[in-house]
Amino acid sequence: MTSFITEAGGATVAASGAPALAWLLIVLPLAGAAILLLGGRRTDSFGPLLATALSWGSFVVGAIVMIALLGLPSDGRSQHLALWNWVPAGSFQLDAGLLVDQLSMSFVLLITFVGSLIHVYSLGYMEHDPDKRRFFAYLNLFVAAMLLLVLADSYLLVFVGWEGVGLASYLLIGFWNHNPAYATAANKAFFVNRVGDLGLSLAIMLMFVTFGKVDYATVNAGVSQASTTALTAIGLLLLVGATGKSAQFPLQSWLGDAMAGPTPVSALIHAATMVTAGVYLVVRSHAIYDAAPNAQLAVAIVGAITLLYGAIVGCAKDDIKKALAASTMSQIGYMMLAAGLGPVGYAFAIMHLLTHGFFKAGMFLGAGSVMHGMKDNVNMRRFGALSTVMKITWVTFGLGWLAILGVPPFSGFWSKDKIIEAAFIGEGIRPWLLGGAALIGAGITAFYMSRLFFMTFYGEKRWEKGVHPHESPLTMTVPMMVLAVGSALLGFVLSFNSMFVHWLAPVVGEHGEEHPVLSVPVITGLTLVLVALGAGYAWYVYGRKEAVVPTLAPEGSLLTRAARADLYQDAINEGLFMRPGIHATRALVFADAKGVDGAAGGLAAMVGGLSSRLRQLQTGYVRSYALTMLAGVVAVLGTMWVMQ
Amino acid sequence: MSALPAFEAVAVDYWAVAPMLVVVAGALLGVLVEAFAPRESRHSAQVALTVGTLVAAFGVLVWRSVNHHSVTFGGSVAVDGPALFLQGALLVMSSVAVLVMAERFGGVGGDAFTPMGASTPGSSQEAAAAKAGYATSEVFPLTLFAVFGMMIFVSANDLITMFVGLEVLSLPLYVMTGLARRRRLLSQEAALKYFLLGAFSSAFFLFGAALIYGFAGSTDLAKIQSAIAQGTTGMDGLLVPGVLLLIIGLLFKVGAVPFHMWTPDAYQGAPTPVTGFMAACTKVAAFGAILRLVYVGVEGSRWDWRLGIAAIAILTMVVGAVLSVTQTDVKRLLAYSSIAHAGFILVGVLAFSKAAVSGVMFYLVAYGFATIAAFAIISMVRQGGSEASHLSQWAGLGKRHPVVAAVFSLLLLAFAGIPLTSGFTAKFAAFAPAVTSGGTAGVLMVIVGVLASAVTAYVYVRIIVLMYFTAAPEAGEGEEVVALMPSIGTTVAITVGVLATILLGIWPGWALDLAGRAAQFML
Amino acid sequence: MGDAAVTIGTGEQVMFWILAPIAVMASLGLVFARKAVHAALGMALTMIILGVFYIAQGADFLGVIQIFVYTGAVMMLFLFVIMLIGVDASDSLIETLKGQRWAAGLLVLGLGGILVSAVGSVTYGLSDGVAQTNTSKGNVPAMAELIFGRYVWVFEVTSALLITAALGAMVLAHRERLGKGPNQREWSRRRFEKGENLAGLPVPGVYARHNAVDTPALLPDGSISELSVSRVLSAREQTRSPLADLEAEDAIRAEIESGSER
Repeated sequence: MTSFITEAGGATVAASGAPALAWLLIVLPLAGAAILLLGGRRTDSFGPLLATALSWGSFVVGAIVMIALLGLPSDGRSQHLALWNWVPAGSFQLDAGLLVDQLSMSFVLLITFVGSLIHVYSLGYMEHDPDKRRFFAYLNLFVAAMLLLVLADSYLLVFVGWEGVGLASYLLIGFWNHNPAYATAANKAFFVNRVGDLGLSLAIMLMFVTFGKVDYATVNAGVSQASTTALTAIGLLLLVGATGKSAQFPLQSWLGDAMAGPTPVSALIHAATMVTAGVYLVVRSHAIYDAAPNAQLAVAIVGAITLLYGAIVGCAKDDIKKALAASTMSQIGYMMLAAGLGPVGYAFAIMHLLTHGFFKAGMFLGAGSVMHGMKDNVNMRRFGALSTVMKITWVTFGLGWLAILGVPPFSGFWSKDKIIEAAFIGEGIRPWLLGGAALIGAGITAFYMSRLFFMTFYGEKRWEKGVHPHESPLTMTVPMMVLAVGSALLGFVLSFNSMFVHWLAPVVGEHGEEHPVLSVPVITGLTLVLVALGAGYAWYVYGRKEAVVPTLAPEGSLLTRAARADLYQDAINEGLFMRPGIHATRALVFADAKGVDGAAGGLAAMVGGLSSRLRQLQTGYVRSYALTMLAGVVAVLGTMWVMQ
Repeated sequence: MSALPAFEAVAVDYWAVAPMLVVVAGALLGVLVEAFAPRESRHSAQVALTVGTLVAAFGVLVWRSVNHHSVTFGGSVAVDGPALFLQGALLVMSSVAVLVMAERFGGVGGDAFTPMGASTPGSSQEAAAAKAGYATSEVFPLTLFAVFGMMIFVSANDLITMFVGLEVLSLPLYVMTGLARRRRLLSQEAALKYFLLGAFSSAFFLFGAALIYGFAGSTDLAKIQSAIAQGTTGMDGLLVPGVLLLIIGLLFKVGAVPFHMWTPDAYQGAPTPVTGFMAACTKVAAFGAILRLVYVGVEGSRWDWRLGIAAIAILTMVVGAVLSVTQTDVKRLLAYSSIAHAGFILVGVLAFSKAAVSGVMFYLVAYGFATIAAFAIISMVRQGGSEASHLSQWAGLGKRHPVVAAVFSLLLLAFAGIPLTSGFTAKFAAFAPAVTSGGTAGVLMVIVGVLASAVTAYVYVRIIVLMYFTAAPEAGEGEEVVALMPSIGTTVAITVGVLATILLGIWPGWALDLAGRAAQFML
Repeated sequence: MGDAAVTIGTGEQVMFWILAPIAVMASLGLVFARKAVHAALGMALTMIILGVFYIAQGADFLGVIQIFVYTGAVMMLFLFVIMLIGVDASDSLIETLKGQRWAAGLLVLGLGGILVSAVGSVTYGLSDGVAQTNTSKGNVPAMAELIFGRYVWVFEVTSALLITAALGAMVLAHRERLGKGPNQREWSRRRFEKGENLAGLPVPGVYARHNAVDTPALLPDGSISELSVSRVLSAREQTRSPLADLEAEDAIRAEIESGSER
């Protein structure tokens, strides 16, 4: 990077005043989860409302802290709140504390606000579910874990939140676990995430070796003394963690399947929590990445690949939720790309994350509303012409659609366009590749999102018999409206006078003025042209009155079929990892053996293959056991004897 | 021959060894109870006596022995910080384990032990004994003898004391392993295997002791240490083989690879409460002895043999973790997991620092309580009266017995080392010294350890998945899998295990502090 | 053997080189003998020779104890147990595991090689054996001082081991009688109900040529009754075939006949 990095702002100070209340942010939803889970059926009546109220309470605390921070000078906004001395003994100390700063508070507000809206929405959506108390308990747990993740002051505590988010998502995705397919999806999400977790835990360990401690302050201060090799290794391992949680290539396979959960969960996972954790981790570790350019480049490349991958897959999906999931993957790819660009991109990555949080949550809730009206059908080929019967859903969804397309002046324009611009900054072939990917991605995004929008709301009615679409109740539509307002305006507000960039600057460092290889108006112009082309083509195929959308998916071209099959990711995983260990998998007599797939399952199968081979040593004959012992003795003694 | 000098008895610090004396007195009383008490009252009398003895011993330990740090009996017994800490841990854990052994499920399932050990499995005599309400209440004095041996083991400051301790603790375990009520042939086979291989490993230990005696001219750990420090001439060739053979003899007891082969068989065959007792307490005792041997006795020569043991540690972690993947029996699975844990603890042992001693001791306590509770739960889950130890039988347990499944999940998460459980703190406490003072080998071992624990975490999570997210098999054939209602004793045991798991995970400070203060060996 | 050889007299050396190979062979016999009794005897021999070595080195007490305790008490106990289990209990020595013997042999050689090289690489200083102890304190008092002094704890603890062993033996081997056992009347009634061997088992052969218990009886149809001899004898392969006697009988009869003809 050739930019001038000004050292990240003032030193962190001990929290006082409102920021000292930050612990309440986590405790409120956590208490909700505890009350609902431990209280059992007694809390059935008021539980969901309590959970929602506590979530809003957390948002209010967040807002108060935010206001307090805004009242401080920009170098005093990073406040540390020591909680408790986790492992106090001797030379290895572990403290648990919270770090309240511009970055974490941005996340806190997004999580609590969008999370609370989703709570409200769920009140309507889950109204008839017999187990809704448990559902709300998990929602609260999810929010609490995510807040812990972003507020943690050390990588270790991040890991706690990280595991908590994984657990809560697992519980929520598998919430309807009476359906075996859903339970399988939950398993897949969990296993793939374990690979990511492994990366994170190795990174933490390596940090411990390199820096001696794993809190942000020590790590950031120690970066200048550490070797580049160590930093690159840490950066790559963190990236593995981030790809797992944020569904980035090559660990993205779980995201589509995770749509099995109730729709509000999808909204929560995709917009406000979970998938954003990877981006947060990369941005939070900016000091490491800035000192390890190779790792940083890897982040950008992973982002670029994923944004194209998600976009291509999104073009072929007929399941509205899976199409949205692919879009999330792609949009997170943009954020990763931005985060991999260094100081130029950090602020835009987070900004896009915030705007995306709003419009994607809005669209998911909209999709939920459509499903609610269509008797839980998710096949877009059986939708059509819904703009007439579901007006609120149509309008709110439409605003989200405009935002994700990046049409000015809606939110997406302000954040995504900046990322594309930033991707074009640099020397050599790099900006052309990264920028080109981002640019093409924008065009494809326009196509598949328009396809989704048109197939759902325009064209002719292709409803199944006996389906009478109707607008959803107010508890569902009000959150959608609020989010739609955010989708429309948030980008502009944040970009006004580069407000957000300046706000984050003390955390991630400020970058000097730099110029893309193409001039800014050209990039913006190109983007808009591509977007218009994509959307126009979608209109031509799916939107016009005359357009015929077959209710059964046509066989399609090779690419379409590949995209439908997630570009054969699962098949590749299977071929590479599963086949060799297939015997092992057979040896597993679990009823849920099918749940083991994807990359994690492949690795597991490899371990399993090794395992069943090693297992043959355990013959059951005591004389062969004794022989093994003897072999061990001879080996150890022999080696030591030779070495002397 | 000159006039004999008067015999001088060695000075004995009786308060220092009082806990051990209490335990052995209780064991002897137990034998008498077995001989004279009427059959109907034997079980309850034995349980009360055993638990009472263990609690009393713990009381004495806390009340008096802690102020009597001393090397007594002419240097053959060292009651110092680590010894007292581990003895205290042993006493508490074994009283918890005894509560599980006493479980009879209100007469529904019978206790875990065969009504008559001598009857042929499946014979009419066995059935008659069961019908007559016979019980092998001898397990309780046997348990006390085993505990006694373990306490000697962790305080042995002389190779001979150590060997006798090893045998005193092993012999009752061999017998108890063969006393399972159900699948008795498996149980008896396991006992025989355990016994034969145990004898085999004792031979290695003795050979090592002989070589070390040749080197140092004494079996006293302090004298061995000074002999190593002086570097006696000409005899050096005996040192390293001797040390390695000694350590190998001890590693057998913890189930380190490749001396682990007995573990899965014995764990599976033994009555489940005994398995819990074995897994938790034997590990404490054996690692206590290993710590004392390598830190007090042969620490000076560690550069000559450390790599060999490090290789064993790595192998142990890898094999334990990898093999746990394909297990289909819960008890075998936990056996392999205990092998992997032995590897993790070895990583801590090889760090050679005071922090490592406290980390290892903390790990042993954290692992022990969780293990006893886990096996207690396994003994509760039944199908048609016998233990449902096959994994497929656990499918869908979360639906029918949410509390049991939740507790088991918590314990599994602790084994996996998930933060905020004792397992995480313990791994941290054992691995951190290895990173800071273990050199390259230490870091390498820790990396392998983290990878291995990821593999085991996968295994544990799969059980959780099985319990919560898999439908129970159709109840077409056979009876439904149920978790029996435990008696107050088992409930207490499980509660203690769960509380320890949570407390040591969230608030480990006091325990680490205690272990840290107790981590100084005496000579 | 370096300097130490100085203190070893010729007589002792001669004795060592004669007895040591025997001890080694006896211990190998212990491992490889097919019959448990032979193995036990091999063990006894090894123990005795070790005792002799101890005495030769001046540790009289230890040597005597070795022979008393191990060879006398323990071995007899061992033999007693073997007899109790049944002398016919002999293991099948057919190895079913592929490569087991081969690998075991190799590893044993390896371990032996390493240990021999370790022990052999050492130079032993001049040792006075137990001579000094014998002159200053005396063999037995010195031993007593160790047992009741420094090792008194261990010595006492060993009792726990013995109690455990006794308790374990009771648990694993003692069958309590459940209910009343059948008396003689019931036994014979049961036998008649079964209708087998109503007149008791056949007695062994009746040729008064020698101890006839080892010769199975001939049933009326001329077949040999294995039931008539003790199981122990057949296990030891100490039974005779009655066929030889039959032939002898035939020979005698022929002789008598030929004699009567004469």
